[in-house]
Amino acid sequence: MEFVRYDVNKYSPRQMVTLPLVLLLIAGMVLGYTTLTTGLPLQPGIDFAGGTAVTVFTSDSRETIEATFSAYPLLSVGEGIGNGKYIKFGPMDDAQYQSLSALINEKYPDAKVDQIGETFGKTLQGQAFFAVLLSFIGMSIVVLIAFRNLVPAGAVVLAAFSDIAITAAIMQVIGIPLSLGTTAALLMLIGYSVDSDILLTTRVLKRKGKLEDKLSGAFRTGIIMTTTTLSAVAAMWVVSTAGQIQIISEIASVLLIGLFVDLMNTWMLNAGILKEYVLRSGKK
Amino acid sequence: MKSETIINLIKDWRVALLIVLVIGSLVGIYLAPPNPEKGLEGNLQFGLDLEGGSWLQMEFQSVIVSYSTDKPVGDLIENLQKSLEADVTQIDADHLEIRKSVSRADLEPIFAASGAKIVTYHEGVSQYTADDVKRILSKKVNALGMQDAKINLLTPTGSEYPQYVRIELAGVDMATAQEIVGKQGMFEIRVQTTGNQTEHVLFGDQITSVGVPQKDPYYQTWGVGFTLSDSGAQAFREAALKSGAVDNPSGHNLVMLLDNETVYSAPLSGELAAQIRSAPVKSLSATTGTGDAGLEDAMTLEIHLRAGALPVKVDVVGSGSVPAALGEQFKTTVLLAGLLALLTVGFVVYYRYREPSIVIPMLAITLSEIVILLGIARFIQQLDLASIAGLIAVIGTGIDQLVIITDEVLHEGRVPSSNLYMKRYGRAFGIIAVAAATVIIAMLPLALMDLSTLRGFAIITILGTMIGILVTRPAYGKVIMAILSK
Repeated sequence: MEFVRYDVNKYSPRQMVTLPLVLLLIAGMVLGYTTLTTGLPLQPGIDFAGGTAVTVFTSDSRETIEATFSAYPLLSVGEGIGNGKYIKFGPMDDAQYQSLSALINEKYPDAKVDQIGETFGKTLQGQAFFAVLLSFIGMSIVVLIAFRNLVPAGAVVLAAFSDIAITAAIMQVIGIPLSLGTTAALLMLIGYSVDSDILLTTRVLKRKGKLEDKLSGAFRTGIIMTTTTLSAVAAMWVVSTAGQIQIISEIASVLLIGLFVDLMNTWMLNAGILKEYVLRSGKK
Repeated sequence: MKSETIINLIKDWRVALLIVLVIGSLVGIYLAPPNPEKGLEGNLQFGLDLEGGSWLQMEFQSVIVSYSTDKPVGDLIENLQKSLEADVTQIDADHLEIRKSVSRADLEPIFAASGAKIVTYHEGVSQYTADDVKRILSKKVNALGMQDAKINLLTPTGSEYPQYVRIELAGVDMATAQEIVGKQGMFEIRVQTTGNQTEHVLFGDQITSVGVPQKDPYYQTWGVGFTLSDSGAQAFREAALKSGAVDNPSGHNLVMLLDNETVYSAPLSGELAAQIRSAPVKSLSATTGTGDAGLEDAMTLEIHLRAGALPVKVDVVGSGSVPAALGEQFKTTVLLAGLLALLTVGFVVYYRYREPSIVIPMLAITLSEIVILLGIARFIQQLDLASIAGLIAVIGTGIDQLVIITDEVLHEGRVPSSNLYMKRYGRAFGIIAVAAATVIIAMLPLALMDLSTLRGFAIITILGTMIGILVTRPAYGKVIMAILSK
């Protein structure tokens, strides 16, 4: 594990928190800009915007598929391994959907088809937003109760928030849409994120010993934790992407990005704030 | 390890509980009841996306409004019915169900004209209507011999009125599914002439509305009211006069048929016969009987009167289908993903600890956690693609927490006295408990939300985390102690 060369004790708190905070700022700008231009912080996928998704295994080329469906609001044709194709359409009216449905049935009778209406997508959007909000508030309360101390608890909450914000901004930049699957993954990130944050905070605040030792001990454990999770998620991503299982592939890619972001936020942002906090309260 | 240590270990309640649960889960999946033709899958329940089939999600075109008024509510209802051309029923003291998708802004002038005010406005239907829809749909599905159908009413969070109904049909393609949902029966009323002979009176298209079962306050009998169109009432009167039912009601039953099968047969009441003699009657009521049996019959009759049509219009807002072969392929793929995840995780922990006596218990504990999770899921949650993603995510967090325990107790070299060990284990457990609590809290909203298809993902994640914190982590703590202190 060579990327473990990072030494938590080498840098001052100010140096540690700079990069994560700058990235958080940039993420805020990306999401803010998208909200201003589209009304939503992230580009919505079919679940939230309405539309039709088709998964099919066919030897037809992308061009053939595009030609076949040229009369419909075709958004994209994704390709996997072993002839897997993932075709996305924007929302359309009922008559057009019926005709599309008949065409799919004729051309690709073995396709998996999912369709979500535009207004229903809006309802789902509202509900998902509500879920994320509730999750975040719930998490903050649990962390606050667990540490009963504003600065360390605030650092954990900030790190979790930053995880979600930066991950969301990266999704927007590389074009992963916000869907039910990716929303769930963002929520899951809250869980993963606090795992290592709590380990770090507990080790530093509740154990006796030199700060440097406690930090590097926590780092050693934390890295192995995130690496095991990363490896499980990576396996999930590889297999589901190759096998055209869109929902698992989406969840896994967001978790992958999020876990890397979390490494930074835990061991630079959270560790930095915690170090400063311990150094200051030690001087008193 | 000595056999004595193993026996002592099994006697520990934490380890014993783990073993009992693993065995119980395996029995649940494979032996109760035995399902050998399913092979490795045993009794596990799979979702539509792994099993193959179709789903339709439909939105009720209806709103629930609570109102305040000083005038008789009957006038308000009548006004609404006239101006909206929709069924309006009172569901309790101050709520009306308006069976049409109509905005609050459009309703306000009608209410104002009747001297009433809208207090609250919700999209959706009353629980009664929703259950009615569910009953009608299950009847249709069952009539076609499909046992694997799931019909669920969905209520958005923040509302108390069901707004959607979702129907899942395993092994059925989209076209068939739509046909089943949309199909209506043929309803006919005939009148008995002489002996067993009957004569046509009218078809179901002459019935303009069907009420809900109501109890006659005097006779204590249940019945269902329905309204005929003008021409229907006219036809009804002519048939009643011509057949002799008006003169001798008891000798001439009125027979109702759905798809040519008799669903109701009873004579005209004396009162009604007298009314019909003088003029056509539009509002009729079919009486079924007293008590619970009468109510049940009335509910069935209500469905029959509608001829399989739903009491409220529904719009399809989402749909999908998965061919069985593709579902089968997905199953293989996710199994592969799970195995690969377990394997890579095993590789990583081995790389870290280089100690089979740590790595093997870790993987064994993780495996047992998956088995218990599946064993419980077999009863409460069907496995769809999303919940399998949850399962794999749980493998990730599970191993994380075992790493925390291991590193905590191994702190500064080998395991010390059992006292100190328990102290360190307690500290590790504290970290894990807080982490688990946050995962559960973070996933809870998703698990409680009716609308999201990710309920399975959230439920499996929460369940996995709970099994971890309550069963497998404590057992791991004991096992690793026994192994390391040898």
